[in-house]
Amino acid sequence: MDLVNIAHDLTGLTVPVLALFAFTLPLLAKLFGEKRFPAIYALIAMIFAAISSTIIFIGSRINDNPIFYKFGGWPPPLGIVYEVDGFNATLALFTAWIMLLISIYSIWYGRHLDEPEWYYILLIGLNAGMLGCLYTGDVFNLFVMLEVLGISAYALVAYHKNKHEALEASMKYAIIGATATTIYFIGLVVIYSVYGSLNMADLAVKNYYLYQAQRSGVTLFSQMITAIGASSLLAISLALWVFTYKSALFPNHFWLPDAHPEAPTPVSAALSGLVVNIGVYATVRFLYTIFGPLSPLELYYREIVLIVILILGFLGGLVGALLMIAQKDIKRLLAYSTVSHIGLIYMAASIGFVTNKPEAVILGLTAMIYHIINHGLGKALLFMASGVFIDAAGTRNMDEMRGVGRLYPITSLAFIIGFLSMMGLIPFAGFFSKLLMYQAFIEAGLLLPALAIIVISAISVLGYAKAMYAIVFSSMNKKYEKIPLKGINYMLLLMAIALIALGVLYPFIKDTLYGIVLQYLTPNRIMYYRFLMR
Amino acid sequence: MISLSTYLLTIIVTSMIMNLALALYGIFFKPHLTKKIIALTILGDTANTFAIIVGYRRWISPHSPSRPPVLVDYANINQEDLVNFVNTAVDPLPQALVLTAIVIGLAVTLFLVFLALQIYRLYGTLDVREIKRLRG
Repeated sequence: MDLVNIAHDLTGLTVPVLALFAFTLPLLAKLFGEKRFPAIYALIAMIFAAISSTIIFIGSRINDNPIFYKFGGWPPPLGIVYEVDGFNATLALFTAWIMLLISIYSIWYGRHLDEPEWYYILLIGLNAGMLGCLYTGDVFNLFVMLEVLGISAYALVAYHKNKHEALEASMKYAIIGATATTIYFIGLVVIYSVYGSLNMADLAVKNYYLYQAQRSGVTLFSQMITAIGASSLLAISLALWVFTYKSALFPNHFWLPDAHPEAPTPVSAALSGLVVNIGVYATVRFLYTIFGPLSPLELYYREIVLIVILILGFLGGLVGALLMIAQKDIKRLLAYSTVSHIGLIYMAASIGFVTNKPEAVILGLTAMIYHIINHGLGKALLFMASGVFIDAAGTRNMDEMRGVGRLYPITSLAFIIGFLSMMGLIPFAGFFSKLLMYQAFIEAGLLLPALAIIVISAISVLGYAKAMYAIVFSSMNKKYEKIPLKGINYMLLLMAIALIALGVLYPFIKDTLYGIVLQYLTPNRIMYYRFLMR
Repeated sequence: MISLSTYLLTIIVTSMIMNLALALYGIFFKPHLTKKIIALTILGDTANTFAIIVGYRRWISPHSPSRPPVLVDYANINQEDLVNFVNTAVDPLPQALVLTAIVIGLAVTLFLVFLALQIYRLYGTLDVREIKRLRG
């Protein structure tokens, strides 16, 4: 019981404390004057976030109800609440721990960072933004947190501010990102003018009542509910742009292959492994919790929205896998791999239009969460490992990096395991999440998407094999610099072992995630909210 | 015969939609980065105006929302006053949202302006047709 209380308090504290950490950093760095101070300070902040998200996760698992933290004590529909259920607690747990690993890696990477205090402010800001996006229970607060996340990410991409390409990539990312977020704000205004509320749980309950009214044939409201369905379609379509933009779903993926190679390597790992998940999370929140199967949107348009996402996910998966083959730049190859995997994740997330088979929907969402975790961990590992090879070879071009992996056996081992998991080989995590997606589509009776997953995986093998062959297996054709690793290779090996563990513990993880989806992403969760809104 | 208020409302809504379209056109098709940033601020301002108008709930008249949402004399208030207050007070929440959105917009604009300045220092131009070192 005590832990539940601590988890409740930490839900409100985590994001503001991280912001405090970020903004006190430059002052303290000036006072201490120590070169390594910002890195250690950021490490403390990340450790705090990781521990706090773990406690919140355990707290949300002990208690059956979601954790509600009311800022300023305002009751739910009026004030901002942070609402943590099993779904976002899992993603936040994952995000905070990967950010901790990235922060440790940044210390090793430190010699490339000439002004570490600014880098670490932005990194902590990125963490605060992501955790804020995940924990918040208010659609307007989501907008604010998306901007916090966005500005940190844009600035981190442009961190090497004397590199031409970095600035260009950042500008490309930032200007469309800011536009998309503003469009989301217009969507929010539409939601507010229709529902008179911005609280996610309150919106879900209102949608539920409207749906019930329509179903029970109260003809008085029938036209009004049609209008509400149409306006929520408008709001959803305005909102989905920023979500798909942040998660680089085709055709909004154009910024990602430019931004990732130009950003510092730890930032590439964070953007590719974690930031893209935020968009998926927000999409699922909107289409399964707020405008879920029991809402006026369902009566008219929800199916269309989900089918569009399915098609875009398929196209993204295909385009990413095909373009990956043509790449010479290792980081750009990994970026296209992210586009491909995000496509797969969106395909799994779109399964909600199969309403007559609830089992398939639950399986699909389980596969989605599982794949988010596998892909995020694997991609962070791959970017960090490729950072080591890039440093050793002094270039990102794979043709000039032949055999560089032979100098670093442990890093290479982790690198290969990461690739094998991305491909979806049997004992590794990636296989099981793809299998689960396949099962979900078969269960739903959709053969084509199920086949599409196999086809996309098969095409992407070519790209992965090329990278593995070039970096590890081919013979060295020039002398490479031997750079000190300072134990960072053991951290990478640990992540690789975690990938194997995620695969080997498949039955246990699947059951846990299945339970979470069953409890929080199916229509029966509306009951919790009706209870809470009273 | 349409009434004056409907006419005015139509003008406002049409001009907002035009503004939106022009801002999006500017962001996507203008080659100059400064113009893109200006178009972005226009988009933000249009969104803010839209939020403020939603806060008024109905077209302004003596019997519809146009008063600040402040109860001055709440010590001896009766039911009629309260009903009157609810009918005439402007919804304050969109204004709070707009305040937040303006601050965020300031931060984003400042960041973009600094980015554009740095781009100008390196490339010597702000024309996106000449800022093309990336392949994809």
